[in-house]
Amino acid sequence: MKRSTLKDYKQRMLRVLLYIQQHLDEQTPLEDLARTAAFSPYHFHRIFRGMLGESVKEHIRRLRLERAAMRLKHSDMPITRVAFEAGYESHEAFTRAFKAMRGVTPSEFRSRNGTYPQLKSLSQVHFREGGAIDDFEPMTPGGEPMEVKIERLGPMRVAFIRHIGPYDQCGGAWEKLCAHLGKKGLLGPDTAYIGLCHDDPDVTPANKVRYDACCTVSDDFAPQGEVGVTVIDGGDYARTTHFGPFDKLNETYARLMGEWLPRSGRECRSAPCLEFYLTDPENTDPEDYITDIYAPLEPE
Amino acid sequence: MTTNDKIDLFKQLKKAEYAQPKKPVLIDVARGIYLTIDGVGPPGGDEFAAKVGALYAMAYTIKMTRKFDGRQDYVIGKLEGQWWSDRGPDLKNIPQEEWRWKLMIRTPDIVGEGEVQEAAKALLRKGKAPEVEQVRLEAIAEGPCVQMLHVGPYEREWETLSQMLAFAGEQGCEPHGRHHEIYLSDPRRVPPQRLKTILRMPVKEIAEKNPAGP
Repeated sequence: MKRSTLKDYKQRMLRVLLYIQQHLDEQTPLEDLARTAAFSPYHFHRIFRGMLGESVKEHIRRLRLERAAMRLKHSDMPITRVAFEAGYESHEAFTRAFKAMRGVTPSEFRSRNGTYPQLKSLSQVHFREGGAIDDFEPMTPGGEPMEVKIERLGPMRVAFIRHIGPYDQCGGAWEKLCAHLGKKGLLGPDTAYIGLCHDDPDVTPANKVRYDACCTVSDDFAPQGEVGVTVIDGGDYARTTHFGPFDKLNETYARLMGEWLPRSGRECRSAPCLEFYLTDPENTDPEDYITDIYAPLEPE
Repeated sequence: MTTNDKIDLFKQLKKAEYAQPKKPVLIDVARGIYLTIDGVGPPGGDEFAAKVGALYAMAYTIKMTRKFDGRQDYVIGKLEGQWWSDRGPDLKNIPQEEWRWKLMIRTPDIVGEGEVQEAAKALLRKGKAPEVEQVRLEAIAEGPCVQMLHVGPYEREWETLSQMLAFAGEQGCEPHGRHHEIYLSDPRRVPPQRLKTILRMPVKEIAEKNPAGP
C-alpha cells in the first residue's frame, strides 16, 4: 500500500476546505465532509481540528463572518440580510458575533473608511469569493515533540457496560462494571481499563454520546445483565500518553491526528480510538491522570 | 463520580501523615491499618512487579465487592513501601538482591480479615496470580518520623534523605526503623524527573551514651 504523505493529507484536506467554501450556506453533515476526501468519519473531525487549529463549526462560522464583512464593505446588501446569510436569525446575535470578532458593529464597519486586518487564523485559510483557495498551511508542531509509539495489539476480549450521555458522566458505568467484575474476582493485575468512545464528544450532542466502559476478561466470561461482551480488534495502533484532566483529552487527540498522523506515513483505520486509563480517578488529582490514547491504524 | 460519601484516608490525613512538605518536618504517625505483602529483591524486578499486581488486585477486589454488596465504600490509598535489609535499615552499600520490602496500601479499619480471605479465594478461583494469598491486613504504628516530599528519580532520593537526616540531627533525633516511601506518581509513564514520592524516616531521640551509628 502507498504511504500517505503530508502532501497527500494536505491535498485531501484542501478538497474538504474547497467543499466548505463552495457550500457555505449548507449544513453539510460531518460524515459527508469526511467522504469528500476519503477520511474515516471516526477520525475526520480530529484530523481537521488538528490540521486547521479550529473545529469545523468554528471554521464555517469564521468564514461566514468574513464573507459578511466583505458584503458590508463591497455591496449594498441590507444588514439584516447579511446577518441572515451568515447564519444568524437576529440582527442582535449577528452584531454580537461580529463585534466579538472585529471589535466594531456591522454598521460601524460599513460606514468607516480604511482597511481592517484579516481575522486571525492559524491555518491562513480565509473566505474567497467562489471558494478559490489553492493552498493552506497545516498547523506545525510547536513545543515539545509528541511522543508516539506504534504498537501491535492482539484482539482484546472485554466485558463492557454502555453509557449513553455526556462523556464526563461515564463514571456510573465504570462503578457498575468494576463492582460486577470485582465481586467475581476478575479484576486482576493484568486487567486493562479501556474506554471506547463511539462518538466524538466535541461534535456529538452530549446526550447522544455512546461510550463503552470496558475491562479485559478471559474467554470463559459470559455476558450477564447489563454487562456485555465484545472483542476489540487487534492490529497496529499509534499510542500516545495524555497527562491531565479528561476535559483536555481533545487537545492531545488534535495533536495526534493533526500533527503526528499526516507526517507518519500511516492512515487511520475506521474504528474508534481507545483510551487506556492508567490511574484511578477516585484517588488521583485530575492534573495527575494518565491516559494512553490508542488510535487504530490501517496495516502498512 | 461522587466521593462525598466515601471514606478517603489519604485526603483526610493530607495535612498530617500524608503531608508533602518541601522541607523536612517532624510528624507523629499513629497506628494505621494496611493491606501488605512482603518480598525481597530489586525494585521493579519480577517479584516486585508480581507483588504490586497482587496487592492492587486484592485492594480492588475487596473494595468492589463491598460496593457490589452495597456496604460502606472507600477510596483506595496510594501504594507505599517500607525498605530494609537483614544487615540493617541503611541500604546504601547493600546490593539490591538483598533489599527487603513491604508493599502497603492504607485501608480503613472497616475492612475485616474475612473480606481479605474472600477476595483471595475469588481471585484464585479465576486463576489470578497466586501471590494474592500472601496479602494480609496489618496494623503499623511508626511514631515520630521526619517526612519530606522528594521530586525526581528514585535513584536521587539520597539528596532528599540527607536533608532529612540533617534535620533529624538538629531535632536531637536519629533514624530508627524502616525507611518508608509513599508513591504519588505512576512510574509507568511519569518521567523520572517529575516523579513525586513522600519519604518518611522514623526517628527516635538520640540516647546520650549512644554515638550515632555508621
